[in-house]
Amino acid sequence: MQTAIKGSKAFSYIEVSLEQGESIVCEAGGMSSMDAAIDLTARLNGGFLRALIKRYLGGETLFVSNFTNNTSQPRTLTLVQSVPGEIRCQKMQGEGFNLQPGAFIACTAGVKLGLRWAGLVSFIAREGLFKLVASGDGNLWYGAYGAMIEKEIDGEYIVDTAHLVAFEPGVKLKLQLAGGLFSSLFGGEGLVTRVEGKGKIIVQSRSLAGLAGWLNPKF
Amino acid sequence: MPSDTYQVVLTGEVLPDIDRAEAIAGFAALFKLSEPAAAAKIDKAPIIIKKSVDKATAGQFFTRLGKLGWKIDIRAAVSLPAAVAATAPQPGLKFTFTGQPDYAFVTIQIPKGETIKVEASSMATMDVNLQMKTKMKGGISRLLSGESIFVNEFTAEGFDSEIGIAPGTPGDLRHVFLDDQTIYLQNSAFVACTQDIEVESKWQGLTKGFFSGESLFLIRAKGRGDLWFNSYGAIIEIDVTQDYVVDTGNIVAFSEGLDYKVTKVGGYKSLFFSGEGFVCRFSGVGKVWIQTRSTAAFVSWAHAFRPVKRTSGSDGGD
Amino acid sequence: MQIELLHQPGNTAARVTLAPGETITSESGAMIAMSGNMDITTSTHKKKSGGLLKAAKRMLAGESFFLNHFESSGQAGEVIFGTGLAGDMMVRELEQESLIVQSRSFLAATDDIDIGFGWQGFASIFSGESVFWLNLKGSGSVVLTSFGAIYPVVVDGDYIVDTGHIVAFEETLDFTITKAGKSWLHSYLGGEGLVCKFSGTGTVWCQSHSSADFGQRLAPSLKNR
Repeated sequence: MQTAIKGSKAFSYIEVSLEQGESIVCEAGGMSSMDAAIDLTARLNGGFLRALIKRYLGGETLFVSNFTNNTSQPRTLTLVQSVPGEIRCQKMQGEGFNLQPGAFIACTAGVKLGLRWAGLVSFIAREGLFKLVASGDGNLWYGAYGAMIEKEIDGEYIVDTAHLVAFEPGVKLKLQLAGGLFSSLFGGEGLVTRVEGKGKIIVQSRSLAGLAGWLNPKF
Repeated sequence: MPSDTYQVVLTGEVLPDIDRAEAIAGFAALFKLSEPAAAAKIDKAPIIIKKSVDKATAGQFFTRLGKLGWKIDIRAAVSLPAAVAATAPQPGLKFTFTGQPDYAFVTIQIPKGETIKVEASSMATMDVNLQMKTKMKGGISRLLSGESIFVNEFTAEGFDSEIGIAPGTPGDLRHVFLDDQTIYLQNSAFVACTQDIEVESKWQGLTKGFFSGESLFLIRAKGRGDLWFNSYGAIIEIDVTQDYVVDTGNIVAFSEGLDYKVTKVGGYKSLFFSGEGFVCRFSGVGKVWIQTRSTAAFVSWAHAFRPVKRTSGSDGGD
Repeated sequence: MQIELLHQPGNTAARVTLAPGETITSESGAMIAMSGNMDITTSTHKKKSGGLLKAAKRMLAGESFFLNHFESSGQAGEVIFGTGLAGDMMVRELEQESLIVQSRSFLAATDDIDIGFGWQGFASIFSGESVFWLNLKGSGSVVLTSFGAIYPVVVDGDYIVDTGHIVAFEETLDFTITKAGKSWLHSYLGGEGLVCKFSGTGTVWCQSHSSADFGQRLAPSLKNR
């Protein structure tokens, strides 16, 4: 399999070339173009019950698309996300990686996606009750709305909840008010996530909530 | 950047509403001293807890001791060598842009004790010791322009801190250092500024054209300090020497020295069918920043996706 | 005339420099700035023909399409075009050929290009946005826009493109609307629904993102109507 992330950081997309017998899994609706000879099958995103949970509580799609090349020649396809922004590839080698719901785009067959309880904090922060935990071996592609900014955490840091995309296993999330009660409610910051621990966090430079906040007064 | 080291100093004072005995007990537990020994040590305050640690460690002590109720002072341990006499240092705060030009994000370093003003809900990341206060800003004009009327003030308590700001609009960010100068911004372009910049809304009256979708409400920023503003889309800078016409929905900012007049484009047929609506004709000499996206077109595109409320007797928005 | 693309590919704008007397035609609403000496006229078709009634009919059908003609009077002038959605642009030189373009992707064209609305093609049924197609014919320059990065697919055989991702394609290609997956159920559940299968030889220009998908993603956060 050969893959490349193309497009600028504003509109990244993934170009994939599958050899005979190879497959790639991506979120439903993630294909923008593909060779007609590639087989597409949809499967549940986990077992039936877990898929339902992932959909209604985790914000993930109910089904994922499985693309397989059953021909003797290499075939190409292009995978995208619904929001414009940067896409990154995380090379998994057994260790875990945590994603916010909706950030998942695609992965190779050896990567497993699990749902974990992200804690009540995550629920209050409107991010959903669950976080997507990836494990296994292979490649994982995830995307953001906007550009991605990496930060090494060693101690504590504060992130606006709508801007957190992914974080390494050594980082934990806690919730707090951004300022005093008045400031938090009216200052628009509301609840923020306090990240604690040691590891990398990935933040996106825009958020759908921010965009909606800019648009809504204009209607 | 030189690796600065810091001193962690216990001032000896407790924070308001803290019971001193409890604070001493906490201090004792933290440093594994007996309470009398801890009390004796604290009596000699101000005392240096740590002589030379890196920023992260200093931050941890500041937070931990702060939680126990102690007022902590962080000082630079190493006095930086005298600046080599050369060109004058860059005025204003240190900051870095990332994600330009499409989804620009700015990280600003706020020196200890200083405050910056930030558009409400634009904060994305920040150091834990930044204190946020919300201030009501502007009068009626700002309310009607649809812009939120809250501006948050972030103060760096006890420590140089950093804040990461992400505007809601997809686009670019620009910085200007105003040296007692004035700049006019379109209403949603304001992102952040330092304390000595005065930002006020100026009512433009009749120019809320229903075709342009974006009223020509302007904000005036003047004073001495840093100003960050954003655009919807990328920014093109135009140096105006002869008349230049800009769609009102595409103006980001313009400098002093320009005259402007809002007119409609062409005759009535153009008004209804051309989709251009109102434009602003600039004359004089100055600089105009324009954005490559049209806000009105984006708003009407997004309108199609708005959910329709199914219950009867709904407010229907607006 | 010179056409310069600025700030590609994320928030592209097209800066057109015109000699005195030169004209360029653009879709309505595309002008973001221009020098003070430009004249604008509006029509529904090429500069010389009228057709206001036909345009009114189209407007009622939900497909309004007006064209602006910019002429530089007296001296050289410039017009800067931009779009409502972020994305890329491309300039294509046509030489007596035909290019089928998605209506939202058309930005501007030189006067000798005929902009036809006759191509029936297909409408995007599931995408939630009304889409119609333009047939650009003749010789000259055409400026197209996209939501996302533009990438060409050279078809030699069969290639599938999700309808929300088509910017333009050469008229030499055949196409059919079909399912993406092994069965209709798989296609629908896999989120692909109906797609366009191109066959033959020719180029399809695709955009990396679909504005309909982005709109659906944004919808829950928007204020109710």
